Amino acid sequence: MAFDRLSRRGFLGGSAAVLGAGTFAPRIARAETTEIRALLITGGPLYPKYWEKVVADFTAKTGIKVKYDLLEFTPLTTKVVTLGAARSNLYDVFSTHTAQIDSFFNYFAPLNEYFTEDELKDFYQVGVDYLVNPKTKGLAAIPRNMDARTQYYRSDVYAEHGLKAAVTWEDLVDVSQKLTGNGYYGLVVPGQGDPAQRTFSDLLWQAGGDWVDDAGKPSFNAAPGIEALTYYRDLIQKWKVVPPDAVSYQWNENSTQFSSGAVMDTFDWPGAFSTLSNPETSKVVGKWSTAPYVRNKTAISCAISHAMALNSMSKKKDAAVEFIKYTVSPEAQLLNFNDYSNFPSRLSVAKQVVSEASGAKAEWLAQLEQTIATGKEWPKLPGFSRVCTLMFSTIERALSNQQSPEDALNQASAEALQIMTQAGAYN
Amino acid sequence: MTAAAQPAGRRWRGSPLAPSWQKGYLFASPALIVMIAILIYPLIYSFVMSFYRWDLSSPSQYFVGLSNYRDTFNSLGFKQTLRVQLIFSAVTIVVEVAAGMGVAVLVNGRLRGLKLARTLLLVPPMIAPAVVGLNFRWLFNGQYGLVNGILRFLGLPEAPWLSDPNWALASVMIADIWQNTPLLVLLFLAGLQSLPQEPIEAAQVDGASSWGIFWHITLPLMRPILMIALMLRIIDTFRTFDVVWLMTQGGPGGATSLITVNAYQSAFQSASFGHASAVSYVALAMSLLFLALLYGAPWAARKLRRNS
Repeated sequence: MAFDRLSRRGFLGGSAAVLGAGTFAPRIARAETTEIRALLITGGPLYPKYWEKVVADFTAKTGIKVKYDLLEFTPLTTKVVTLGAARSNLYDVFSTHTAQIDSFFNYFAPLNEYFTEDELKDFYQVGVDYLVNPKTKGLAAIPRNMDARTQYYRSDVYAEHGLKAAVTWEDLVDVSQKLTGNGYYGLVVPGQGDPAQRTFSDLLWQAGGDWVDDAGKPSFNAAPGIEALTYYRDLIQKWKVVPPDAVSYQWNENSTQFSSGAVMDTFDWPGAFSTLSNPETSKVVGKWSTAPYVRNKTAISCAISHAMALNSMSKKKDAAVEFIKYTVSPEAQLLNFNDYSNFPSRLSVAKQVVSEASGAKAEWLAQLEQTIATGKEWPKLPGFSRVCTLMFSTIERALSNQQSPEDALNQASAEALQIMTQAGAYN
Repeated sequence: MTAAAQPAGRRWRGSPLAPSWQKGYLFASPALIVMIAILIYPLIYSFVMSFYRWDLSSPSQYFVGLSNYRDTFNSLGFKQTLRVQLIFSAVTIVVEVAAGMGVAVLVNGRLRGLKLARTLLLVPPMIAPAVVGLNFRWLFNGQYGLVNGILRFLGLPEAPWLSDPNWALASVMIADIWQNTPLLVLLFLAGLQSLPQEPIEAAQVDGASSWGIFWHITLPLMRPILMIALMLRIIDTFRTFDVVWLMTQGGPGGATSLITVNAYQSAFQSASFGHASAVSYVALAMSLLFLALLYGAPWAARKLRRNS
């Protein structure tokens, strides 16, 4: 038997070989297939299937494996904040969004070196611009799909009352008053947190104002800001055309009010087009139409984007960038539009889906394109993420009649100036 | 002298098994290391953090002294938070302790169905605060909530539970009281059952009324338990977060923004960890101050009485 002849040296040598193989073999095996980790956004029952397909297609094409976790928007942002504070390299790729991008300018690696000028020209300029760090000019993320809002209204009820979709602020009040009563409301708007700030922001631009002046100093408390917040408050408190609970609504509650049939009009994101067309998620299938966002002095509203970012701490940047590029590829964007009506961030893909659409969908896409063409976003100046948190409660205080719009905005403006000065916005 | 009667030190002297304080620490060291790693280190680290400008959006962190504390006390939101926190703590503690004592006295009697009542009392504290928050958010929903549904059915006016600043604060306090009162009932019940019966029986023989017995005998005897209950609730109200966040997110307009909510918003919405740490340490200082008052006030009163 071989064991009879086993010497002490032979035994030790053999053990070392086994130990070495045990230690290094997995590494050698791992080197053959790169694996990256991604923290991706989800929402609704269908989104996981989208990522499953995108990841499977990507792995089939490149051989790079992607291990991913899915989270909805708010918990995802919270988790990225935590990981960013810890400078973690747990994930190589993140889903992100224009709204919070300034918090992550130092955690996300600039993508400028991975995308040529020509490649970037295929993306909506407004989508790219607001993902750029104004101080370093680094591109913190690349847009995956555009987020802009249009009006969704109950065409059946409007026709019954001989009404047309509102075009101006005055129309909106007028039409909504006619449709409010018997437990139904003419309109729904969100009134809490980030959605409240987003709504105020749109009204601020429509009133002819802006967040900051040319010097970057807060200007949202000027006359247009007061007009915007007063109008917003009056929809709930004076004209009462919005459910009184709206001050506690975020996006989900806002969308559900319309999809459940309780309200007749709302302003919602592109994804609503799919949700409202699906009998599993909507009681108003076939009973609604779309129209442009209402206007006042201007017709401006937000044009922002869901985006993909690279962790600056990642040790597999090349593989991670390949995945990011795939998620924003025409192929992935087409899939995202066809299944979820998420509007493409690439001009070429947008052109394709618009040209292929017909009827109500074509009208809606034209309205979205128009909104994006004139769309804006709040500034990405140092300290503005803290100003946003300040604005959440400022707007809520005015909407719930705790303070007049003027007082609330004046107080917030003074504090915002202090925050931004401290953060180095004017250095 | 027998071995058993020898002092321990002399008995083990020279033996390798001799007990010593070094050995005590040696055996306790794994637990101590874990404690330091997961409790003491983060505490010290976050305290240090409160003196730094520590924003996720800044390229580096730098020392700012007391600036984060100054900003915190100067901000409008925090002034409102302090007011809300004090109202929340005062009302919930008073109601929970009073109701807890009342129910405990009732449950301590010999009424029918008390066994079932005692079992049911265990349910609210066993439910996760997050679930309580979600349930109460649903119950207090203005349009579809059960509470307004019942009010509507009874022909009573509906209440703007979560959309009006005052009602919203009342709503989160109701949820907190619902969850925490039963815990105090159980605590007080344990105390009542361990009280000596002789003074109570003597008072009964002397013809004292039930209220007199409770006020002059039971309550003074329950003082140590009451102090523990107050201490637990003071600590807890300054840590309350889940229920409030899930019901109102601190809104509308900061009307239910407790200190923990303010700290969470600073950390995870503003990504400003220096400010969040400062807010957290203000909360810690406040709960320590209240605990000091709780224990210090009776001590000072006794001392004053003695001196006079």
